[in-house]
Amino acid sequence: MGNKSDSAISRREFARRAAFVSAAASLAPSNLLNTESLTTPLQAQQPANAPKLSPEGQTEVEARIQSIFAQYGSRFSDAQKADIRRLATEAQPSLERLRAFTTDNGAGPGLYLKPLMEREKKPSPTAATPKPASAPKNS
Amino acid sequence: MSGEEIFYLSVSELAKRIESKKLSPVDLTQTYLDRSQKLGPRFNAYAHLTPEIALEQAKAAEKEIQRGHYRGPLHGIPYAAKDLLAVKGVPTTWGAKPYADQVFDYNATVIDHLSRVGAVMLGKASMIELAGGMGYRFASASLQGEAKNPWDTTCWTCGSSSGSGAIVAAGLAAFAIGTETWGSIICPSAYCGVSGLRPTYGRVSRYGAMSLAPSMDKIGPMARSAEDCARIFAAIAGHDPKDRGTVPIDKGAFTYSPSMELHSRPLKIGWLTNAWKSLEPSVAKPIEAATRLLKKYFSSVKDVALPVGPWEDAGGTIVAVECAASFRSLIRSGRVNELTDPLGQIAGYVNEQYSATDYLQALKVREIAQKKMDSLFEAFDVIATAAQPVPATPLSLNLETGLVFPDPLGGIGNICGLPAMSVPCGFTEKNLPVGLQFVGRAGDDFAVIQAGRTFQSHTDWHKRHPKIH
Repeated sequence: MGNKSDSAISRREFARRAAFVSAAASLAPSNLLNTESLTTPLQAQQPANAPKLSPEGQTEVEARIQSIFAQYGSRFSDAQKADIRRLATEAQPSLERLRAFTTDNGAGPGLYLKPLMEREKKPSPTAATPKPASAPKNS
Repeated sequence: MSGEEIFYLSVSELAKRIESKKLSPVDLTQTYLDRSQKLGPRFNAYAHLTPEIALEQAKAAEKEIQRGHYRGPLHGIPYAAKDLLAVKGVPTTWGAKPYADQVFDYNATVIDHLSRVGAVMLGKASMIELAGGMGYRFASASLQGEAKNPWDTTCWTCGSSSGSGAIVAAGLAAFAIGTETWGSIICPSAYCGVSGLRPTYGRVSRYGAMSLAPSMDKIGPMARSAEDCARIFAAIAGHDPKDRGTVPIDKGAFTYSPSMELHSRPLKIGWLTNAWKSLEPSVAKPIEAATRLLKKYFSSVKDVALPVGPWEDAGGTIVAVECAASFRSLIRSGRVNELTDPLGQIAGYVNEQYSATDYLQALKVREIAQKKMDSLFEAFDVIATAAQPVPATPLSLNLETGLVFPDPLGGIGNICGLPAMSVPCGFTEKNLPVGLQFVGRAGDDFAVIQAGRTFQSHTDWHKRHPKIH
């Protein structure tokens, strides 16, 4: 189809887009944040066609990459390192969309999936009529 | 009936012959084994055949039936199991080189269930390595090599239940067992022109199955018809104390008989307007024809849109984190580098970096999605759309760059554990199958089966098969 977009996600890519996160930033050794990679101009390190990230997002991505390289760097070829950098960068927009979605303080995380099979039968205000067609924001 | 046609008979048709003793389970098993030995390598369909087990089970079935002890519609029926299901004493490779010599000393619950109803295991179906959990760039991401589509061997079967799709489409077994975390039953069923059921999460025990993302992994049948899927599902569904993810006893079991449909409710269909950004023209045509049939044979068909939200992002996060945890030792030991696919060799390192807070946010989003979808199903019994927006893709395609499109239904359907079925609904001008997908409310597997059955009672796409010589 070739309709690739920043928000496009292929089913087959669920692990590829898997990439990163915020807590890792706080877990990363502080000295990693001062490594060569962060003193190098960020633009120079971004893969071609990489999504445009905010400076904060880019810093976060860089921290994750450095965390991987610090722990496992000797295992990778230069090509693999470049691929890891690309994967990490491409995953960031997905994480930012996820974080931006509003959830209530009391919203319960389903720690183990329990399908809603025991729901109470009660009218739902959102289900009275089918919704009109509309394109999803992220597709 | 030609010699070839017997390989494409449905489970229901084979069962009639076996029950009436017009067809010997041993003969049927031997002919399927011969065909699988001859043609299996052509499609890279099997991880390995198990002729000793098959013939032993077939002889036992025949003996019982001869004595008048007929166990039911799967008695004496040959099948293949995806190679991530443990079978005692038989290699279970998970499609991956690091596990090439792995042998379990117990059976997966699904294997035991099928054995109990007298089904005959021909062998283990090939699959994408680790069911694609580490990501993959090419169809060749498998210990068994690229699975070739029986409709066109220059095309892929889709994954990760790739061998299961090829086996059913090529008539190498009467049915196969596949698994889905995200798309791995629905997509191969569509690409291969077979009927596939992704059950509600928790209705089929995963005990003895490779764990990829435990809160999303599901096991289901791939077969020649929705009715066959129902019969197989009835045999494998149910609570299992060995799998804490299974639903309670009163919600897990499934029974099926064709007469149930006489008393079934008229189905209200919601036709999804935003499941795919666009359909490839060759797919759009059969899908348009299918929608006309739906309007003719179902009680109502109305447009509906999926709720908007970061469902794919949540699903991707859940899969990434749970997969990294499932294969932590593989990643940390460095043996992940033994995987075939260049993407699979490195994605796990990236997945390891996800934070707990993002994972929990994904789980919160899941609960919101569940409620939104449950509300949507107040107005509809099933929602429907194309199973895939494209037909089977070339074997050499780079899936990272050449097959990228949003899949909100796959995202929300899988994070909510909703049942789904893909049934064949036509062909492209290049004679590649196109699938129609039905998705139902959690627990209402019968609705998607009924939708598939109804569609197939007015069409014969599911009876077509590739010409194989």
